Amino acid sequence: MFKCDHKFIATSVAALVLGSTPVFASSAKKNALDGGMTYSRDRGMYSVYNINEQDTKGMNHGRTPTANELKAWDTDIMPDGTGLPEGKGSVEEGDEIYEEQCGVCHGDFGAGGVGYPTLSGGSMDSLTNQRTAPGMDAPKRTIGTYWPQASTLIWYIRDAMPYAHPKSLSNDEIYALTAYLLAANEIKVDGKEMDDDFVLSKDNFSKIKMPNEDGFYPNINGKDGVENVRKFFKDGKNYGAVGKRCMKNCKDDNATVMRIGIEMKDVNPAYSTVRDLVPVDNSNAHPGKAGYEANCAVCHATDKMGAPALGSKSDWDKVMEKGTTKVMMNAINGVGSMPPKGGNSDLTEWQMQMIVDYMISNSK
Amino acid sequence: MTKISKASNTEIVQSTRRDFFRKTAAYSVSAIAATSILSADDENITHHSKWGTTLGDELNKNPYGLPSPYEHNNVRRTTPLLSSAGDMHAAISLTPLHEQEGIITPNGLFFTRTHNGVAQIDPNKFRFMIHGMIEKPIVLTLEDIKKYPSESVIHFLECPSNGAAEWKGPQFNSLQFVKGMMSCTEWTGVRLKTILDDLGVDPKAIWCLVEGQDGSEMSRTVPTEKIMDDAMLVYAMNGEALRAEQGYPLRLLLPGWEANLCVKWLKRLEFGDKPWYCKEETSKYTTLTASGKAIQHFYPLEVNSIITSPCPEKPWTSLKKGDMIEIQGLAWSGHGKIKLVDISFDGGKNWVEANLKGLVLPKSWTRFSYIYKYEGKPLLLASRAMDEIKNVQPTVNQEKKIIGVEGVYHRNSICTWEVKENGEVHNVQMRS
Repeated sequence: MFKCDHKFIATSVAALVLGSTPVFASSAKKNALDGGMTYSRDRGMYSVYNINEQDTKGMNHGRTPTANELKAWDTDIMPDGTGLPEGKGSVEEGDEIYEEQCGVCHGDFGAGGVGYPTLSGGSMDSLTNQRTAPGMDAPKRTIGTYWPQASTLIWYIRDAMPYAHPKSLSNDEIYALTAYLLAANEIKVDGKEMDDDFVLSKDNFSKIKMPNEDGFYPNINGKDGVENVRKFFKDGKNYGAVGKRCMKNCKDDNATVMRIGIEMKDVNPAYSTVRDLVPVDNSNAHPGKAGYEANCAVCHATDKMGAPALGSKSDWDKVMEKGTTKVMMNAINGVGSMPPKGGNSDLTEWQMQMIVDYMISNSK
Repeated sequence: MTKISKASNTEIVQSTRRDFFRKTAAYSVSAIAATSILSADDENITHHSKWGTTLGDELNKNPYGLPSPYEHNNVRRTTPLLSSAGDMHAAISLTPLHEQEGIITPNGLFFTRTHNGVAQIDPNKFRFMIHGMIEKPIVLTLEDIKKYPSESVIHFLECPSNGAAEWKGPQFNSLQFVKGMMSCTEWTGVRLKTILDDLGVDPKAIWCLVEGQDGSEMSRTVPTEKIMDDAMLVYAMNGEALRAEQGYPLRLLLPGWEANLCVKWLKRLEFGDKPWYCKEETSKYTTLTASGKAIQHFYPLEVNSIITSPCPEKPWTSLKKGDMIEIQGLAWSGHGKIKLVDISFDGGKNWVEANLKGLVLPKSWTRFSYIYKYEGKPLLLASRAMDEIKNVQPTVNQEKKIIGVEGVYHRNSICTWEVKENGEVHNVQMRS
């Protein structure tokens, strides 16, 4: 009997809920860390979503990682030196590795100019540059002028570089490359600039002083780090949330219409909203094929010009003795009678890589 | 690009194409005639169509369905300007917002940003670890993760660089390139709190490292408070497994926060009491202000909106004076729901409130709509959203005053389209 009553009550409540969802929608409060809303999970609702609120206490479908598994994956390197590996490397050794493996993308001494991130150069003073008119200089955000921590550099080099084959460098090599890049940025260690013989290791890493360490806000360090972030987001003026809802005769600092100067049109595929059929499909073509045909075939189609001919295994076996990196560098910088990028300076590094890959893979 | 690779398909397509052009030509003639008193008959009505007089394709010709071949221009687009040296392994593709209907982006059109190419992970070899300052570290396979109760929620995801090319002025005459670094999807996965409740997270662990397993090991530091609030491990979008471009088989979802924080191809979470200073929260994804100092850990995507119709790709050139037409667009905020959207026809001097339509969900795209009688006169058309915490989009000048023009990230000032007398639509900015 009691059971029956209970069921009846439950059904009535359910009917109410179904009939009047908005009344029972969970509450929302402006108390998230980022200054936004949080939505409670109560009465079977999360905001406007129905949810299952049954207890999941004790639910665990995983297993404990082994000590070796933790060691294999827990490899982050933190500003306080936690995670720094054993090993060492000098500025001079780093210079050699850099030239061999990094310069092709990041330019000589990390100075950029090849389209990939610039790693050195510029001054901290440039960080206040504002390009409000054409021809003005950009702020230079390089390792030396911008990066707050050296740990970021060695960690990223180890996990993510070289770009095309990450995690291939030894611990000694990552110390050497870090040392070289810090030296190229005139970073001081223990108050002194680094010369070619300088050797970086776990022991002196904490003595590196990054010039722009204090260039960021809010302060996230220490036990109040998260609370500082909360305080920062409490005031919209801190992050640009200063819009006002004016409806009539709104003033806007004498704003006038600014139109596009030079339109950026280099998009792929080209703009079109036409609804028609595509007759030909080229999607299976090698991405370097078209570039090869337009720029390289004139010399490389046969061996008449002295260039290694496409499809000639013997020609290309000889070329490949130098190694892929060197072949790639030659294609970009020119070699012998071949001009840089085959004479077409508009080709990007990426297009060049694809062209070279196309030529190699068709000459095996 | 729609693939039509088999020879037999190509033949069919080519014959249909000739047919299409012939009919289009006929249609154009009849459309012109329709404006005169004596309107000509439309051949598309008076004659049998090709598709009505032939047997159609076999129903399961494409076991995984494809868009109509006529929709081949509804695609993500890239530009070498938003890449390193034109290299499309560390670049971004943008969603065609001008073709976007409703608030759910189809999986094949979801914008994509990668730092070391699109990783292709074997789900059988996929492992995910949670460790650090917790009592019970854990390793989970994909199947393990799917054993936890699932939830499905609709949230937008936006790259904080969305519109970054436009700080110094308008650059692209395209909705896709002005605001296409975002998409909105129904995500399915497990709330992280459901898993973490059993693992005993140390109360002193105020930070959490989130790291991917692609070649760049994309990593960020996230406050544990967010992880315990609405963060999810998601393995599905719009009813199917994540696309590889979106982090198959598992990505982190932090609703309302920078898409960069929602790490794809997720590898591990490590709890700790100090922030990690990852590469993508120091050298990049920090907002340099005119003071020379930069905002770090700038998590939420602020209130924002854009008119999607008309737009440069979908102009009003076919409208006649006096035509009634719907102006519509998208509004969104990482801080909560959209409260309201205003529209201006005069570049922001005067505003009227538009109508919200469809679902109004937290941290989701929300549609707005306004019916307008086109007068054939030039307009400066703008939208301005207000969200649940009453933040209102700033003008370009207001935002510039606080951030400057070199911030790169988190641009959310009002966007303006100039509608020309002939109905063409151009991207402009109101600024001094």
